[in-house]
Amino acid sequence: MNLFRSEEHIERWLAGREPGATMTATKLSELAHAWWGDRVSPDWVPHTREQNQAVLDRLGLTGEFWRLA
Amino acid sequence: MDARDLDLRRRTYAVIVETGRAPRAEELGDSGEVLAGWRRLHDGHALVLNPATDEIRMLNPFSVVPSAFRVRARDRWWYANCAWDAFGVCACLHVDGRVETSCPDCGEPIAVEIREAKPDDESLRFHVLVPAAHWWDDIVFT
Repeated sequence: MNLFRSEEHIERWLAGREPGATMTATKLSELAHAWWGDRVSPDWVPHTREQNQAVLDRLGLTGEFWRLA
Repeated sequence: MDARDLDLRRRTYAVIVETGRAPRAEELGDSGEVLAGWRRLHDGHALVLNPATDEIRMLNPFSVVPSAFRVRARDRWWYANCAWDAFGVCACLHVDGRVETSCPDCGEPIAVEIREAKPDDESLRFHVLVPAAHWWDDIVFT
C-alpha cells in the first residue's frame, strides 16, 4: 500500500504485473479518516466485517477487489 | 474479544499515543497475562505481534518498528505500516500532519502535508496491490 508520484510511476513499478486499485491522495485521506478515526478512542470496539465493508462502500470502493474476507 | 482484552488494548494504545513507543508487557501488569491477552488481540486483528518474539509489531495504524512511512504529527515523528496507515496516524490523532515516504518506482522523496484532513498534493496516487479479501493473509506484506 504505497504512495506514488503519479499513475505513470505505478504502471512502471508494476512492470506488467496485474494492477490492484489506485486512488488519489484526497480519496486516501477520506478513507484513512473513515477507517482509523476512532482507533485510539478509549471507547473503541472492534468493527464488524459489515461495518468495515460499509465504510468502503460509502467511499465508492466496491467490487470484488474491495470485498473483505 | 472480551472487556478485559479491550481494556488491555486501550491501555496498550494509550502508551503509544502518549510516548510514541509500544509498552513492554511488564509495564502493563503480569507479563504472562499481558502476553496472553496480546495474543488474543493479535488473533482478533486488534494488534500485530512479532511471532518470533511476542513483542508488538503494529498498533495499527502505528508501526512500532521503523518503516518507509514517517509521519510528523503532534510534535513527534511516528512510523506507519503503509501509506494508508500514514494518513491514518493523522486521522486517529485528529490532527494535521506531514507524511514522508518515497515513490517505490523512482525512489524520489514524497512529502505531503495534511491540513484539516486534506492533502496538499493532488498529483500523488495511492496503490493497493493485494485484494481486500487477502489483506490479513500476510499483513506485513500487505
